[in-house]
Amino acid sequence: MKMKNNHIFLLMLGLLFAAPYSSAHQQKSAISTISFNPNTHNIEIMHRFRIHDAEHAVKHIFDKDADIIDSKKTQKQFNDYVNNHFSMFASGNDLKLTSVGYESDGQFFWVYQETPEPPALENLSIRHNALRDIWENQVNTINIEGKGQLQTMTFSDSVELLEVKFN
Amino acid sequence: MLIKFIQVTLLSLATLASANATIQQTKGDFIDKFRQLDESLPTPNVYRNAAGEPGHKYWQQQVDYKIKARLDEAKRRIEASQDITYHNNSPDTIKYLWVQLDQNKFRNDSMSALTTTFGGIGSRGPATATASSSKPAQLSLGALRRQQFVDDNVLGYHIQTVKDTAGKSLRHTIVGTNMRIDLSTPLKPGKKVEFSIDFAFNIVEEDAVSARSGYEHFPDDKRDGGNDIFLLAQWFPRLHAYTDYEAWTNKEFIGRGEFTLEFGNYDVELTVPADHIVSSTGKLTNAKKVLTSTQRKRLKEAEKAERIVFIVTEEEALENERQGTDKIKTWKFSAKNVRDFAWASSRKFMWDARGHQQGGKEQPIVMAMSFYPKEGGDLWKKYSTESIIHTLDVYSRFSFDYPYPVAQSVNGPVGGMEYPMITFNGPRTELQKDGSRTYTQAEKRFLIGVVIHEVGHIYFPMIVNSDERQWTWMDEGLNSFLDGVAGREWDPTIPWGVEPRDIVSYMKSSTQVPIMTQSDSVLRLGPNGYTKPAVALNILRETILGRELFDFAFKEYATRWKYKRPTPSDFFRTMEEASGVDLDWFWRGWFYSTDHVDISLDKISKLRLDTKNPDIDFSRLRQEELDKPLSKTVERNKSEGKKLWVERFPDISDFYDKNDRFTVTNKERNKYNEFIGKLKPWERKTLERAIKEDKNYYVLEFSNKGGLVMPIILELTFADGTKENQYIPAEIWRRSPKAVNKMIITDKNKELVSVTVDPRWETADVDVHNNHYPRQITPSRIEAYKSKKSTQKVSRDIMQDIKVELKKDKKDTTDENEK
Repeated sequence: MKMKNNHIFLLMLGLLFAAPYSSAHQQKSAISTISFNPNTHNIEIMHRFRIHDAEHAVKHIFDKDADIIDSKKTQKQFNDYVNNHFSMFASGNDLKLTSVGYESDGQFFWVYQETPEPPALENLSIRHNALRDIWENQVNTINIEGKGQLQTMTFSDSVELLEVKFN
Repeated sequence: MLIKFIQVTLLSLATLASANATIQQTKGDFIDKFRQLDESLPTPNVYRNAAGEPGHKYWQQQVDYKIKARLDEAKRRIEASQDITYHNNSPDTIKYLWVQLDQNKFRNDSMSALTTTFGGIGSRGPATATASSSKPAQLSLGALRRQQFVDDNVLGYHIQTVKDTAGKSLRHTIVGTNMRIDLSTPLKPGKKVEFSIDFAFNIVEEDAVSARSGYEHFPDDKRDGGNDIFLLAQWFPRLHAYTDYEAWTNKEFIGRGEFTLEFGNYDVELTVPADHIVSSTGKLTNAKKVLTSTQRKRLKEAEKAERIVFIVTEEEALENERQGTDKIKTWKFSAKNVRDFAWASSRKFMWDARGHQQGGKEQPIVMAMSFYPKEGGDLWKKYSTESIIHTLDVYSRFSFDYPYPVAQSVNGPVGGMEYPMITFNGPRTELQKDGSRTYTQAEKRFLIGVVIHEVGHIYFPMIVNSDERQWTWMDEGLNSFLDGVAGREWDPTIPWGVEPRDIVSYMKSSTQVPIMTQSDSVLRLGPNGYTKPAVALNILRETILGRELFDFAFKEYATRWKYKRPTPSDFFRTMEEASGVDLDWFWRGWFYSTDHVDISLDKISKLRLDTKNPDIDFSRLRQEELDKPLSKTVERNKSEGKKLWVERFPDISDFYDKNDRFTVTNKERNKYNEFIGKLKPWERKTLERAIKEDKNYYVLEFSNKGGLVMPIILELTFADGTKENQYIPAEIWRRSPKAVNKMIITDKNKELVSVTVDPRWETADVDVHNNHYPRQITPSRIEAYKSKKSTQKVSRDIMQDIKVELKKDKKDTTDENEK
């Protein structure tokens, strides 16, 4: 199905929804850390979501009984969802990310991934769409640490792909 | 590393330069982190004084409204007329008035609509996404629904007339969400003007357009055509604030920066279907006309009840929502000294109430009340009204007695939003297949958290009337700080999220913006406007000022600005002036800069006092020499059994074989006696005592890698296993903000083995790895996760799962628990 603009397709996804207005409770803001571990030579990816955001998101992404705090099934589903909505590319190649696990810790829900650090890594391109496909104003921030000066990526507006370079 | 340093310095200098454009350090790289803020704050004046108090000529405008509104349920439309009395308390003569037409935000041609980027940021609403290399662009059904809703409905205000008291039409010009009304004669200081506006608008469907108010439709209700819940806010043309610091605050309503409003008195008549229950800002003044005698009796009973009393029970509400009526009723409300007016109306509402006996002269009893449909269910019955009362209890301790007669929580389509005396809150129960309604722990936390937060907003900014359009942090930051206090007094096992550790990843990110940034421009409003200021205040209270000083100063701020309009500088000045502690470095670091906290303990050296007495010092030196590790060659020679020359020819020896180079002679002793003899009596006494005590002297070397100066909190661990804490005020950094050394002296038997900076994570230090000396090996988060078996106790939706029957085979029960 096409609209006037050739580039725009309508994807009829039943799960996309109108975000409830939030004045306080939800911040629609997630922060991830990508860290180069010198001991293991892995790139470690740690996504931190606020429970107050995730608890609403899961009900819309999965079903109304989804419960990020108490349901193992929801936590697993959410982990898979995040894994499917996050990707990294090094020099144009899709890096295969391994799912390490997930846990909730206080007011946060963490999702972990990792991948061996490619040799002679010069740049990383990253796509982080988790929750941005359901909430227009979801903002995902990534701090990239342990390789030169800390660099920050912010996925907001219509930003879909961002790149960092390492000297 | 060098490059990093230079960049950090440059950034910090740039920040400083912009804050104090006129005064700059133009040589070297010294940064005065403790430079007083006065030069950056607005100059104190007769309206706002240097103490952060309202000045002796403080003024604010007053706007009174008399509104008659009719809710057309079938058309979902408001038709209304209002008489406005504008009191000019300013020293200025005013030629025109600016009015806020917030409903115009929903027009297709509004600035909000036109500046919404595709896949866009900022505006609240359904999701869209642009095309990227691998995927076609997406337009969600939600976005389409919004578009269709906007196409199908005429949105925005229909301003029918604007007239003066003589009935003469006043010239008015609509500019987006604003309207300028030109007065027929300029309004002199101290005078008032009356005029009226007739208006109408179609109510938006909240779920379609994502607003702060609107209707929600329930198609499955028994009544033919279903039912609606109507939440009305930003529903009448409201005067813009006219202030001493900005004059007209007529910044376009784009959607995020909330509202800047004037206090006034309201008399409002709301005509709604006769079977509706109305919850509203203000006191109901015609209860006899709209409530049954039973309902009035129950309301009276609720005033002194220990637990909630239902004014409209669930059964009565269910009966209401089945039927419907053509009749109408008019509810009359009166509200004194409020900055806004909102209301809700539905035949679905049950209504509970309980009197909060807060005592005091101003408002001894406050009616805490909740309104919700069956979809709110037991969750609301149990916790809504109780959460209101808990909030009033805690917030009043930090500010003043709640001054209004009612405090309400209404369930509807809005996730959470605040107005004077009334809040809209979203949590719901879920209907299960067996017909029961259950809720998850997440939903319970949502309800308690959101009610505390929104009711808290009735204090900040509904009474302490800060300028929301400009400064999100002044209401959201202060309120998040206090809801964290209230939340942890409710149940500390629920994570409330104002701990310093919660903000470190935001603060170290390079896209952080200063808290002192206008609301519509803030990137990442959540961490910037809510969490970071809340954490900052938490640190101020628990770590820097202590509770006694902080609570006194904060209460002073609240009471000074009750029913008045504070600006950021009034807050900064009051907290400093009332606590008696110089906090300019704290405001500068946390609110004006994007520095973060990262204090590193780089090195500890141990020093020992020389006694000058050769009989003591020489033998110490000898011991030091002996303590050095043995030469590897010598050791290997020995183990190989090599005989030394001096061992083989013991008969050939001399004086030096018997006396080493540390041998003391009278030459040294004479010199020492001469030295002692020349000392003044106090010098000799001091030296003798120091030698006798033989204390340990340690020099700790710190560097400030984050830029933000903070107190250094030390945990000293000694060889005997004891620990001791030391608090070094932030002022230690005042003359060398990048690195400082600190000497610590301990008793002879208190030998230091390790030191930890900020052991309780109370300063928001972003890198705790460099807080330990000697360094500790800290696993990365992923390594730690891998090495531990998840300790997370994953439980169930207990309310639903409790129904599961016990199976005989034990193995099956585990699977059953994983829903």
